[in-house]
Amino acid sequence: MKTSSPSTYREAAVAGIDSAQLQKSLQGLQNRFGKGAMELWAGMADQEMRDRVKESRMKTFEHLDIVLAELAKNVRARGGQVHFAVTAQDAVNYTLAVAKKNEVKRVVKGKSMTSMEVDIDPALEQEGIEVVETDLGEYIIQLAGDRPSHIIAPCIHLNRNQIGRLFTDKLGIDFTEDPPTLTMAARKALREKLLTADMGLTGCNLACAETGMISLVSNEGNIRMATTMPRVVVALMGMERVVATMAEHRETLQLLTRGAALQKLSTYVSFLGGPASKDDPDGPREFHLVIIDNGRSRILADPEFREVLACIRCGACLNICPVYGKIGGHAYNSPYCGPIGAVVTPLLDGINKHADLCKGETLCGACKDICPVKNDLPRMLSALRHKLAYGSDRWNTRQHNPAEARAFRVWRLLVTRPFLYRTLIGLGRIVQRPFIGKEGTIRKMAGIAAGWTAGRDLPPVARRTFHQLWKEKYAGNRPTAPTIETPEEK
Amino acid sequence: MMENEYFFLRNIHKALGLAPDNDRSKEQYPELFAAPDTRKILHRVRNRTAEERNELVELLRTNAQALGIHLHPAESEADAAAIVVEIIRSREPEFSHTKHVILHDHPDVAALQLWKRFTREAVTVHTTFSSDHELREKTIASFIGITAPAIGVAESATVIQLTRPGQPRSTSLVPSIHIALLRRDKLVADLEEAYTLLREEGRLDSMVFISGPSKTADIEAQMVHGAHGPREVHLIILPSSAGPPMAATGD
Repeated sequence: MKTSSPSTYREAAVAGIDSAQLQKSLQGLQNRFGKGAMELWAGMADQEMRDRVKESRMKTFEHLDIVLAELAKNVRARGGQVHFAVTAQDAVNYTLAVAKKNEVKRVVKGKSMTSMEVDIDPALEQEGIEVVETDLGEYIIQLAGDRPSHIIAPCIHLNRNQIGRLFTDKLGIDFTEDPPTLTMAARKALREKLLTADMGLTGCNLACAETGMISLVSNEGNIRMATTMPRVVVALMGMERVVATMAEHRETLQLLTRGAALQKLSTYVSFLGGPASKDDPDGPREFHLVIIDNGRSRILADPEFREVLACIRCGACLNICPVYGKIGGHAYNSPYCGPIGAVVTPLLDGINKHADLCKGETLCGACKDICPVKNDLPRMLSALRHKLAYGSDRWNTRQHNPAEARAFRVWRLLVTRPFLYRTLIGLGRIVQRPFIGKEGTIRKMAGIAAGWTAGRDLPPVARRTFHQLWKEKYAGNRPTAPTIETPEEK
Repeated sequence: MMENEYFFLRNIHKALGLAPDNDRSKEQYPELFAAPDTRKILHRVRNRTAEERNELVELLRTNAQALGIHLHPAESEADAAAIVVEIIRSREPEFSHTKHVILHDHPDVAALQLWKRFTREAVTVHTTFSSDHELREKTIASFIGITAPAIGVAESATVIQLTRPGQPRSTSLVPSIHIALLRRDKLVADLEEAYTLLREEGRLDSMVFISGPSKTADIEAQMVHGAHGPREVHLIILPSSAGPPMAATGD
């Protein structure tokens, strides 16, 4: 993952807000899927399902060593190969070795955030291997040399005209803005790639330890193609993407497809866990499952953040977040964007490095309400802010803004000394006068305060403080408050 | 155990506050992999009345329509064959100029006797016998694939296609049109019932749940059918099999 310096977050956020196209797309997306998911949860007959799935996720984590060992055992029993990758580099090296051993020339990818997290494409390309994204949205992103901006709608920031021009340029078709015609052009181009690739590279939505099978959801069928037609299949899986039993699998899957796109099931759910059997005329000859830690065990170890591993990557929180809904996915500068990205990106890739993400979210709580497993993202965003404010050895995090910390120490000094505080308020009332505009607000401040008023107005210090008003109006005739006795106090 | 696996699991032990060289096993935590009691569900699935089955078909019809699946109830095998022949005649191949059709090696598909139907037309019918080494080419050349899924799910208009010898994965995937033949007694109400039957299957090979034609909404959120998989899906409901109900589940 690349570093997101404060300026990249701010610049990308400003660019997102300024893009009329993005604003229109995001609004449409949130109106449909965000509201839709909330209605779906409210109308669900089985109101305990979300809590049940969350509970089973957390139980699995408490026994993750056992569950992963069982998964590996059962995949191996199917003839599949399992590799445990402690780091991203380890996962890349292994995948590369498999590709080289099988003399792979072309890799077709099913949409996978994990593959982006470990950054596998450049490593394969460096070996002269052609890497083709096959999800239509990801394919468009790849052709454009762009980055995805939503977990399930990667090219939400591009409009049909841009995609039409891109296809004319890259696929040599006549210009059209018609989505069906554009889709058919991609279908044709990608079919050729899918049928001739040597290796399929996918993620893993949910592995089931009991059966030794991974499952992959898709609506397009690209993942089925990528796991059926090539000789070799490699699946990259974050170590938390596992359930113990089929019963847990069913409920988790149902929450995933509902949260992602309000579907009872996605068009395809593929289950596989090994190479084709002797009598199967198609299917891969080799199957590799790469189970990846890459910082997840550190999250597992911290009770404050373990909950975030329960995320099923449906992307529902993106579809309701007021911040994501304005700035779009690029500002997060990570494969994981939106509220979930604001929590998981710093934890995986450095809290200081991605300091702006948790500060940019509003803590309004919408992401928690919509989350199929009720992950308390606002709580974890606050916890990340705490780490940035005070530093944390466990997370190797240094105090993010010492100047801000000093300012707050001075503030504490002031507010705990009423005389000093009131004197300064009085002084402020005089100093502010030349800055108050016609609308009665301060629109522009100078020096380091200039940034604060760059995007908003500051209400001036009131002529009389609440404290003074209270004194004038109510002092002397204070009503006697009724005393409420609780049983314990008796 | 390989070295990296050892270190990987040791990190998890550490994260969980366990001794690093812990060798706890699943036998110590029987509730972790406890099987649900499915006797009630099995009983329900296996003892549905004709009327209840009709209700399931109606539920399937509603849900299939919403997903763009063409549902055809068939009175008999002959009836089903007529429906299939009509589809083959009325559609044009997408990627070639000749009409090839590929069928799963399954008794319900064989019962259509399709090869007899096209003696005077340029339609070539292939069957996916597991001994055939040219299946890949034949599948890619075909514009219609015909299968007989093991289970249908009314609630989500899903068919569950298990990979078996003679029943490869690509038949319902690579051709432009997928026709699925489902016997009435293979239709269950919801996913819970379907998972219960899958558990009864014992060891499963790869499988796929299919709910409608391939689709995408990646360009300006406009729904388009036919991204990479079949752009058209037909589901033909056959009468219940003569044998015991749920014969495919092995009892």
